[in-house]
Amino acid sequence: MLLSVGKLNVFYGSAQVVSDVSLEVDQGEMIFLVGRNGAGKTTLLKTISGFLPSGSGKILFDGADINGKPSNELALMGMRYVFQDKRVFTQLTVRENIHLAAYPFKQKASEAEEKVVGIYPEIVRFMDKKAGGLSGGQRQLLLLGRALIGNPQLLLIDEPTEGLAAGIIDQVFRVLKMMKGQLAMLIVEQNLAVVSQLADRVYIMQEGQIPRELVSQADIQDQEQLEKYL
Amino acid sequence: MINTLAYGLTIGGILYIISVGLSLTFGTMRIVNFAHALIYTVGAYALIAALPFLGGYFVPATVLAVLAAVPLSYVIERYIIRRLYGASIDYAIIATYAVLLIGVDITKWIWGATPIPLSDPVNQYLNIFGVSLPVYRLIIIALSLLVFLALEIFLRRTMVGKIVVAGLEDREAVSSLGINVEKYFCLIFVIGSCLAAFGGVLYSPITTVHPYMGFQVLLLSFAVVLVGGLGSMRGTFISAFVLGMVMAVTGRFWGPAAETMVFVVMAVVLIIKPIDV
Ligand SMILES: Nc1ncnc2c1ncn2[C@@H]1O[C@H](COP(=O)(O)OP(=O)(O)O)[C@@H](O)[C@H]1O
Ligand SMILES: [Mg+2]
Repeated sequence: MLLSVGKLNVFYGSAQVVSDVSLEVDQGEMIFLVGRNGAGKTTLLKTISGFLPSGSGKILFDGADINGKPSNELALMGMRYVFQDKRVFTQLTVRENIHLAAYPFKQKASEAEEKVVGIYPEIVRFMDKKAGGLSGGQRQLLLLGRALIGNPQLLLIDEPTEGLAAGIIDQVFRVLKMMKGQLAMLIVEQNLAVVSQLADRVYIMQEGQIPRELVSQADIQDQEQLEKYL
Repeated sequence: MINTLAYGLTIGGILYIISVGLSLTFGTMRIVNFAHALIYTVGAYALIAALPFLGGYFVPATVLAVLAAVPLSYVIERYIIRRLYGASIDYAIIATYAVLLIGVDITKWIWGATPIPLSDPVNQYLNIFGVSLPVYRLIIIALSLLVFLALEIFLRRTMVGKIVVAGLEDREAVSSLGINVEKYFCLIFVIGSCLAAFGGVLYSPITTVHPYMGFQVLLLSFAVVLVGGLGSMRGTFISAFVLGMVMAVTGRFWGPAAETMVFVVMAVVLIIKPIDV
């Protein structure tokens, strides 16, 4: 198992936001996490990736206990978190955004650029523009491409299609489909069309817990059924 | 008139050199660092301590005084500031203010409370449009421009600088790339502190050196940082010179109001453009 979370609890002060959550992601799997706003999805992902401390529980990544390790070390170990809200560095150019990601992995700048261009060829036109000028969709594609730099084993992606226009959602969808199988992904997503077409498995999150896991493709493709959890 | 202008630019230059470190640490770490004023004071006293050993030569003594800020600020960052990351901003204010008070008392214990005057290290005058201006002040103005340019190049052209610029905007996102942000913040803290010490050195010959000199400059530099926009390097530069000018011009008409006017300007700016922390 690449990622294995056991009985994880997370608190903000005294408010418990994640309760006894267990989940697993295997090599190359594409797993979706579905649930209402406020269910605790972002909190769960940020805790796994080292941005928030856990109250208790186990987090194993690639066999190692990573609970309490800082986020930057986890990124170097091959686990990358792609934030909700498309957080690019707006003051830097697109190229600089890419080079920054290559730096900790000592990867060649040109190779890093190729990686991003590989999933989003049109980006060559914006390379020397400030990333702050990009649209939401362009930002998301930059972030996805940038997350691949350094060849991570696991991506945790938080709401990649949120707030995007239909045409761009298709583009993000195609990129995710292209990435499928090449590395493991745990994706928070509310767009059920995307979920049902890509998911290997689906975890349902409700009020800080994961009461259900959908394993069969019949269940996953039943969008009406999924809708009830949103 | 020319005299007032030159004085305003000199004060502006020194204010910039002192404030830019404050702006950087606030912008990156979200920490209000009162200990900055201590480093400024220590810079001035280190100069005074170093001068006799270096035959009175100002430049090497300055270098030593600025370098003295490196271990001091490193210890403050490593053992105090770093524990305050993510904590409420009040804790940082209390902790760094305590450092300032303790440091000031130690300074007083070592050097005494009597103000120490320092003579103009250049002691030459330049005649501009019939007005004789101290060359030392012109050098200060030039040095502040140099510091500004050096910082601009560092932040915009080097990888470390770009990490800092990115960290100013979103430190979590920098960390998500596998970069140890704290390491770079520590570096920024030390650089900012060295500049505070440099500011203390440069200002010493213009005023007098005394243990409480940091308090006055602390409030002025906070005004500069707030008016310039927290974490904005260019904003800090412009605001330092504008407020330096405000001080010089007000002081020309009514001395006691010079500093008050700075805070009036600050209040007006904050009313027009409030800060959300
Ligand atoms: N920094 C925070 N401090 C306190 N409560 C928070 C914080 N962030 C999120 N919450 C609360 O935790 C719950 C889960 O939030 P979140 O993990 O963002 O949910 P989701 O991503 O599923 O929408 C919500 O009730 C939210 O209000
Ligand atoms: Mg969320």
